[in-house]
Amino acid sequence: MLGATMTIDTVYLVQLTLNGITLGLIYALIAVGLSLIFGVMEIINFAHGELLMLGAFAMTFALPVVGLLYWPALAAAILATMVIGLVIYELLLVRLKPDEFERSILVTLGLSIILIHVMQYVFTATPRLVDTQYGFEGVEIGSIRITWTRVIGAGAALAAFAGLYTVLRHTQFGRAMRAIAQNREAALMVGIRPLVVARNAVVLAAGLCGLAGAAISPLQLVTPYMGQFLLFKAFALVIIGGLGNIPGAIVAAVALGLVESWIGGFFEIAWQEAAVFVIMIVVLFVRPEGLFKRGGMRVG
Amino acid sequence: MKLAVAPLAAILAALALAALPLLTSSNYIIGIGVSALVFTVAAAALNLIYGFTGLLSFAQLGFWGIGGYATALTVVTFGGSFWLGLVWAALLNAVLALVVGFPTLRTNRHAFVIVTLTFALLVTLIARDWVDLTRGPLGIPNLPAPTAWGYEFATTRQFYWIAWAFAVAMLAFLYALCSSRIGRTLIAIKQNEPLVRAQGIAPMPYKLASFALSAAITGAAGGVYCFYLRIIDPLFLDFYYMQTFLIIVIIGGAGSFWGVVVSGIALSALPEVLRFSADLRMIIYGLILVIAMFVMPSGVAGWLRDRKLVRLREALR
Repeated sequence: MLGATMTIDTVYLVQLTLNGITLGLIYALIAVGLSLIFGVMEIINFAHGELLMLGAFAMTFALPVVGLLYWPALAAAILATMVIGLVIYELLLVRLKPDEFERSILVTLGLSIILIHVMQYVFTATPRLVDTQYGFEGVEIGSIRITWTRVIGAGAALAAFAGLYTVLRHTQFGRAMRAIAQNREAALMVGIRPLVVARNAVVLAAGLCGLAGAAISPLQLVTPYMGQFLLFKAFALVIIGGLGNIPGAIVAAVALGLVESWIGGFFEIAWQEAAVFVIMIVVLFVRPEGLFKRGGMRVG
Repeated sequence: MKLAVAPLAAILAALALAALPLLTSSNYIIGIGVSALVFTVAAAALNLIYGFTGLLSFAQLGFWGIGGYATALTVVTFGGSFWLGLVWAALLNAVLALVVGFPTLRTNRHAFVIVTLTFALLVTLIARDWVDLTRGPLGIPNLPAPTAWGYEFATTRQFYWIAWAFAVAMLAFLYALCSSRIGRTLIAIKQNEPLVRAQGIAPMPYKLASFALSAAITGAAGGVYCFYLRIIDPLFLDFYYMQTFLIIVIIGGAGSFWGVVVSGIALSALPEVLRFSADLRMIIYGLILVIAMFVMPSGVAGWLRDRKLVRLREALR
């Protein structure tokens, strides 16, 4: 009898842990984009959550068109958010200078208000349910069960991080971004064009966010407001991991996903939501610069 | 001579606003008057921390909500008076501002913005989820009318006097503060903090004090406003309020005391003029915010100041 309850507990714990890792990887996709944009442009993008929302909406529109096939819809959603990111950059962000932090927040806050309410005006606030070719099917290992959409979401996020690492580490495109983040003047002197690099960073971050939105859309309801709460968590993660520190953001995000999932499994739901804020305040008290020290934008 | 114009105009404007209930019999217009006065105070408090000290604080929304809940709970749960509730709201917020401000201001202004934002969201979560204290999503309805010496401020018309007296007192205090040596120090901190340090002034106490004062005033404003609404629930922490305060400060001109006061009175009437659906109204707010940040980043007051400088230069040429 005792043994039986023990196994159930283990299964439950493993289930919570796996869910937490999936959730954390999706948080990480958002936080990494924020960190990338902050590293290169020293601005905070308040409309980042809305890019995620647009990615999720793109998924809801693309899926019926391609006959519920997951991968083409995912690609379409990423492409759509990259184009939107490009438009946002060329219309608004290009006019901001690196030291105009408060102004960047207010401009992107205005943009976020516009995007949320335009989406709500056009498509109403009714939550949308996303169905894919996988439905609710999943893999079963013993009595542990995970849906395919979760597995693929987590896999796609991991692949994206591997890709991002390679790009930032081994391509000229990525080296230019790190150069700007580490020393703007020196980068200018060796002929790196900051506006082009900033545009690339915004488009790349938008693409990651679109991936997050598309991956999360089969897991939760799609509404115009879905980006807001995730974004606020991502803000806290970026602070906890150290502003502009990409690996720091990823570690903090996965850890938060786990902590939230465990808390959600054993305590009241309110604690799950409050955890991130409590952790952030504690981290700021103990290590004001974030858990991982920042020296320019590091990738490894 | 020129210096005396602004205070004189302000006294005349305050008296004119005091006469509003005598000029109209419409409760609707008087209600807009109450909102205008309270929003102007909250925006002026945001102006103290953002416009003068240069720290963009989203925690104002949290302070506004805590102030509302503190006042309501003092009256309903703890059996105190409305006035005592306002004092508690101000004190509690000042203490919270010190607790949040101290670790955050040690870092940098980037972290300050994000922490204040998450603080505001945390307050929203508490208001919704700590059901034992705040009664959760249902809120606390039927707040009793404030009384003083046996007189009950029961109708909107009577409540208007409370809002008026509160606004005049708070704005006068903020004006005295902002035009004093302290106000000039705050502006100096915003413009060049290393220079302020070089002058032998420690910026931290000034920053903390302006954050705490701004929190206390916003909290008291929230307390007054929830007793005008006669109900407080988590919707009192809607981001809409923060957006309204921000737009008032930005359009009026961050760092300009009178610019913000005038735009507060003027823009509070805006939602009433723009009687579209809520979504369309928010889209217009967002557009105003984006366009204002590019066309006149220092608001109407900054734009007028620039015009004056251009004229001066031409006259000197």
